[in-house]
Amino acid sequence: MREFMNYITNAFYGATGWNEDNKYNELNATSRELIDFPLPRGLRLTLSSLATPHFATSYQLGSVGVVDGSISYLHSSIPLTHIAAQSDKIPLPALLRCYRRLHDLRSPGQQHYILDADPLSGLPPSPQSARALLGAAPDAAVAGGALDGGNTDQDLGIYTHSLLYGRLYLPKSLLEGMIIKRFTQALQVQVRAVSEQSLRNGGTILGLVQYDKGKYGLEGLYSTDGGLLGFRGLYNFGGDASSSTCDPWTPTPGENNNNNNNSNNGNAQAGEKERIYGRFSVGGELYYGTLNKSGGMSLGARFATLPAHRGTPLTATLTINPLMGNINATYALLAREYCSLATRVDFNVYSYESEWAVGMELWSNRRPAGFLLGASPSNDFEPESHPPRKKERSFQAKMEWRLDDPEPEPEPEPTPKTKKNDEYKGVLKARLDNNLRMGLLWEGRAKSLIFSIGTGIDLHKLGEPFRSLGLEVQYSS
Amino acid sequence: MAFNFNWSPLTADAGFYERARDLLTTALNKSPKPPIIVDDIFVTELNLGSVPPDLEILEIGDLAEDRFRGIFKMCYSGDAFLTLATRVQANPLNTYISAKPSFTSPEPLTASSSLTIPLQITLSEIKLSAFIILVFSKQKGLTIVFRNDPLESLKVSSTFDSIQFVRDYLQKTIEMKLRDLIMDELPAIIHRLSLQLWCPDQVPKEDEEAKEESDAAINPLATPPLDAVDAHGHRLDPAEISSLSLDGGPETQSLFSQRNLEKMDALACAHRTSSLLTPNILEVVFRAWAGQSDKPDATATPASTPNLHRTSSYQGSVHTYTFSDNSSQASGHALSRPTLVSMGSATTGLSLGSGRHSKAGRKKKMRVVNLRSKTAASEPVSEIGSTSSQAGDSHSEASTRTPMSEPVIPTTIREVPEDDLAASQSKVRFRPPTDATTSARASESSGPRAAVPSVPVTAQPSRAATPQEHVYTRQPSMFPSSPAPQTSAQEMPPSYSSRVSEKAESTASIYADAKGQQQQFQQQQQQQWGRAGPQPDMSSVILEQAWITKIAGEIARRVYDEKNRNPAFWEDSHQHDIPPPAYEPR
Repeated sequence: MREFMNYITNAFYGATGWNEDNKYNELNATSRELIDFPLPRGLRLTLSSLATPHFATSYQLGSVGVVDGSISYLHSSIPLTHIAAQSDKIPLPALLRCYRRLHDLRSPGQQHYILDADPLSGLPPSPQSARALLGAAPDAAVAGGALDGGNTDQDLGIYTHSLLYGRLYLPKSLLEGMIIKRFTQALQVQVRAVSEQSLRNGGTILGLVQYDKGKYGLEGLYSTDGGLLGFRGLYNFGGDASSSTCDPWTPTPGENNNNNNNSNNGNAQAGEKERIYGRFSVGGELYYGTLNKSGGMSLGARFATLPAHRGTPLTATLTINPLMGNINATYALLAREYCSLATRVDFNVYSYESEWAVGMELWSNRRPAGFLLGASPSNDFEPESHPPRKKERSFQAKMEWRLDDPEPEPEPEPTPKTKKNDEYKGVLKARLDNNLRMGLLWEGRAKSLIFSIGTGIDLHKLGEPFRSLGLEVQYSS
Repeated sequence: MAFNFNWSPLTADAGFYERARDLLTTALNKSPKPPIIVDDIFVTELNLGSVPPDLEILEIGDLAEDRFRGIFKMCYSGDAFLTLATRVQANPLNTYISAKPSFTSPEPLTASSSLTIPLQITLSEIKLSAFIILVFSKQKGLTIVFRNDPLESLKVSSTFDSIQFVRDYLQKTIEMKLRDLIMDELPAIIHRLSLQLWCPDQVPKEDEEAKEESDAAINPLATPPLDAVDAHGHRLDPAEISSLSLDGGPETQSLFSQRNLEKMDALACAHRTSSLLTPNILEVVFRAWAGQSDKPDATATPASTPNLHRTSSYQGSVHTYTFSDNSSQASGHALSRPTLVSMGSATTGLSLGSGRHSKAGRKKKMRVVNLRSKTAASEPVSEIGSTSSQAGDSHSEASTRTPMSEPVIPTTIREVPEDDLAASQSKVRFRPPTDATTSARASESSGPRAAVPSVPVTAQPSRAATPQEHVYTRQPSMFPSSPAPQTSAQEMPPSYSSRVSEKAESTASIYADAKGQQQQFQQQQQQQWGRAGPQPDMSSVILEQAWITKIAGEIARRVYDEKNRNPAFWEDSHQHDIPPPAYEPR
């Protein structure tokens, strides 16, 4: 489960139109989240609130043997009005969904991140929607405000927003602080700091400079701990990234008179996408510790289908660490809308060590623990039971040897779709690795509380299989 | 006297190596390992070699049928070797990430992927040199304590000898771990084995205790400092050992309680983080309180009560578990008995010098804690007693003989040369047990009389001889006579004479410290005298120090020469000395 403050931070990214996925260390985020989801330990209660559109607080109380807790505050200079912060209204997929769709590369200029709806939901795999996405998004962007002239004062006003975040862990007296400051459309700076007594020099500071041009994203970092310098870069090509329309700051003339050429343009794009329907990304990272004279690097590549892809959405990554001889491959796919799967294989060419892990995510629209909470028959059975009962041909029609008149459908399609998304009550996540260690996690909503129950199971020790147990309860208003 | 080790039968025992290997394996895996070591450490090979260690008896404190207590010196430079096998993390970024808080982690994608490599480490060319305190009793088994850090040097050869970074790291880490092993684990192992041999009925209980210990040791931060002992017999915890080795090792600690220093450091650092830590610093009078407690302390310090405190504080030091404290004190104490009596009368006599030893009954002493790093290589604190007995005794027998009602507050000297003390102390401290302590003590304590005529030679005005005589002929009237030089502080040589007698008291505290601290201390002392005794002139203190340094060095040298020339002369002076309390059978 994403913590409330992460959710708010994501909302901030969404409000300022920052694409936080367009960087190298999010290359295999999908499979990482599907496989390495954190298991709760002990009991943990979180009370959160988005008190004003600018200000959020969160209090956490936990007990793993000893009682601990944290207090956190967040201030955003942009009003976060477009999100639902109440725990009975937060869309669960935004909070719990692991599979990440690719975002549109134009994202730095527009508000792509709409948390109210599941990004997966409104996209039935139809060419229409594909065209709609490919065509309409530029429309919105162009209409929204002269992206090519993004340096106007008005736009600068939009982009120079900042976020302040602080968190104090109480018994440990550990203090975390973060500042995110957006300077221009493409430039954002983050400073994170931790202060704790047991750390050397009392704490560390990490500074990040992020530069996102859509087609490529660069990131430089410096950590005071060991004087670590880092540089990461990601470059996108193929699919939507390769088309000329995709340069976000120079829209093609074809798009400006979109209304006329929509079909043309769409067909052309569709024809192009017919071949690939995906995006390639390659990147690398390089680190050097100036104080301890050590370093590290890795290279990576990813192929991910675009949201417009008609088939099964999938993401495949391959990363190589040439210094340590490590090869890592992941594959994740969204088998159904309610089911995601991921695998990962690690191999080290020097030590011949290998690892594998699989992860799964299953969404359910049933009421969680229905037998406990009153077991009311859920609504979705009724619509399912109705459609099979076909309406008989009317007597009139039979007599006239013809079919019934096609009834004017009230087009209930969109509303049930969105409603159905809302009906997701919970998600079951599971993982298994080569040490036969299993992790099970159920997350869902009951009343207005969001629960997260997880356990770790060691299949090697069947006599005492449960390694950890945990329950997290989150309430926000 | 020396031992002749029968080294080969030890190794002829078939099961010996296996047992030793198992013990070592468990001992090595007991404490938490650094993140670079990702697997357990296994002892694969162990060979004690063919060269036995040299063992020399320095002192036998207690000898009976069922008990023994003695100090040995052990030297070893043989061909023993030890091979360990484990797995290490070869990616420095991985260990870097694993030790950092996740919030500020740079979150590398796969640059921190792990690469574990099996590692074989061979430890050879082990050179040991240790002072061992051995206590044996039939009821309690065999207890061994290392008085100093026994590990002199060690060669670590491993799979990674070609990589400089890894090799250095391993050398450092292993030396540290081995020190822990020798100082912490080895005494425990030997104790357990001895219990199995001599008193099997106590073994199960002992095992339980050991288990508790090991359980507690899993979290090093939660446990109080372990019983590591540094070069001077002070307790240190492992973290402190590492930090000390960075700052120049044992030199950093001299005067003040290590623990208190640590706590003060933590207190000073606390404001940098949001930690709410307020460490409880024992036996310290804060400046804010000093106003009230100072006065009665300085004015009415009877000479007898500190004496009592002295003994009680020695008792107190016993419970620090490392017997080295006790016995090192004991060895010093044995030699410096007369000095201690006189020092007890000073307001801040030995209390500064051996801050951590005085545990009980000294709450009223004012201490100014100076956290500046030491410039000079300071002398070991535990040797203060013995060293001060050299220089201190030689001049200040008088103060020991003065009547207890005599105000002895101004009788403190400022300075004692370090060189002479350092040169002479090692010769005295560990001496063949043939009546060494008494003869040494006798010779030293009666030294002043021989030295008296020689002292004024160094450009003393004629007036200086009079107080000198007073001092060394032990006339109680010395102090009434001395205020004149004290008040006329511009006259250096006269004031020196009284300083000589003061010397005995402050010598222990002063000589071990660096110069900056001395001055601070002296200023404070003088403030105290200002209320109680004659007023010395502040401005001349530094000049006097230099002067006194010179004179005292001369005195010490002459005493030593005289003593060497005519040892028999000193024999008869101190027959009545009480035995050192540390050697009293308990």
